[in-house]
Amino acid sequence: MSSSSDSASASDSASTAAALVALSNDLANAAERAGQGVVAIHARHRVPSSGIHWQKGVAVAADHTVKRDEDIQISLPDGRTVAATLAGRDPSTDIAVLKFEAGSLAPSEVVDSSLRVGNLVLAVSRTEGNHLGASFGTISAAGGAWRTWRGGQIDQFLRLNVAIYVGFSGSALVDPQGRVVGLNTSGLARGLAMAIPPSTVSRVVHDLLSKGHVSRGFLGIGMQPVRLPEDLRERLKLSAETGAILVSVEPDGPAGQAGLMLGDVLLALDGQPIRDTDDIQAHLGPEKIGKAVAASVLRGGASLQVPIQVGERPRRGR
Amino acid sequence: MAANVAWREGSGASTLFDAALATVGQQLSQSTLQIIDGRRGAGSGVIWRAPGWIVTNAHVVRTPQAKIHLPDGRQFDAALVARDPDNDLAALRVNELDLPVAEIGASTELRVGELVIAVGCPYGLRGSVSAGIVHAIGPVAALGDRRWIQADLELAPGNSGGPLADARGRVVGINTMIAGGLGLAIPSRDVEQFLRRVMLQKQAA
Repeated sequence: MSSSSDSASASDSASTAAALVALSNDLANAAERAGQGVVAIHARHRVPSSGIHWQKGVAVAADHTVKRDEDIQISLPDGRTVAATLAGRDPSTDIAVLKFEAGSLAPSEVVDSSLRVGNLVLAVSRTEGNHLGASFGTISAAGGAWRTWRGGQIDQFLRLNVAIYVGFSGSALVDPQGRVVGLNTSGLARGLAMAIPPSTVSRVVHDLLSKGHVSRGFLGIGMQPVRLPEDLRERLKLSAETGAILVSVEPDGPAGQAGLMLGDVLLALDGQPIRDTDDIQAHLGPEKIGKAVAASVLRGGASLQVPIQVGERPRRGR
Repeated sequence: MAANVAWREGSGASTLFDAALATVGQQLSQSTLQIIDGRRGAGSGVIWRAPGWIVTNAHVVRTPQAKIHLPDGRQFDAALVARDPDNDLAALRVNELDLPVAEIGASTELRVGELVIAVGCPYGLRGSVSAGIVHAIGPVAALGDRRWIQADLELAPGNSGGPLADARGRVVGINTMIAGGLGLAIPSRDVEQFLRRVMLQKQAA
């Protein structure tokens, strides 16, 4: 329909058209390839959610979409629907791990890639009727390690500019080569489209498979935020306006063993100010277990330093 | 993957992508028209086949006559030949031989992840282009067993009746509604079946 008869521009437009077709084929190939490792998880009312066949016979899903602990089915890329058992869940990173009989199915090709802002990505899901789903977009923000509001440690901050449809949470973040580069969820940051990098998923999978839970540091105290009196702050030259007052201390717990007492006000851990209980959670990752932290404590109007050996949080029975 | 050429770093792939999208969008616009049925707001339509066959959604045309506006500025009165509210399809005809007919593609060959382009007249703007990918192909919860092309792309109300095309600019569907954020299009195969029925009925009459 072009009125131009110039052969140069005709071949130009032919090559641009070919580029679009090539991109289109690339994306469809990537979706198909990644789709071979994406499953549908039936563990909630009505529509299933997505999951990734992470390692042979092990699927990962977004924990907030796995509403029940039993009677879970998984629909597989080969068309089968099989029973699955919940190996464990870690609400702090929004990851649930399920085991199932994979048969001859191969797990996803997962790579730790250095994603950058602007990289093109697909979210590949599987939902109702065992249908594959794909959405297209970009990495809209990429940063360093961060901690979720529930205290989970995530190795890289990845926010996506990808539309969220049914089945997004638990879907695979896929690069244009069709490799899995993350686990998608809208459950970590107020419904925003986020992805959890493979290194974090693999660590949580390892913990849940070997121990059934993810280790967390533990001090054995209960706290409440408290405002520090002005004169006390001036006298002790404290910059923080609040601390955390101990309202319970487990006598045999790490803090109790270190000599902390009811009514002590926790000001800092390893020099990091403690303004509320979230700040303490942020300090008690699994890497701290067995190590000593220096607690700055206010007691009887004086501040003192108390070393506490961080313990492992005991599992509470369900 | 032979197609990887578009992704070689530093190859100017994104510029190429831009230009290609504009080319396909423009080509598709030629065969996309605005339909005003006199009673309601505007929708879109596709010049589906010669001579003068236009396809749109049933919900776009509800009167026996409609005005159509071509992107080249021409206007015609079109007669409503058939309307199928169950499938939300309608066929119109104009007495004009010189019309840019769209190239129709095979919706049965569409794959999840493929690029798709929608052209239409949302909010009465003619020739708007949006691009995205095929999200899924199949039934949509709460909409029965019917198969839809579910597109991850931004549609607006005036896109109704307009074309959804593949990366080559071949029309693979008629944009019909938005559900759960997805653009739903009637596959070209269903449109072809509808048109065949309409033409047979016309012959019989």
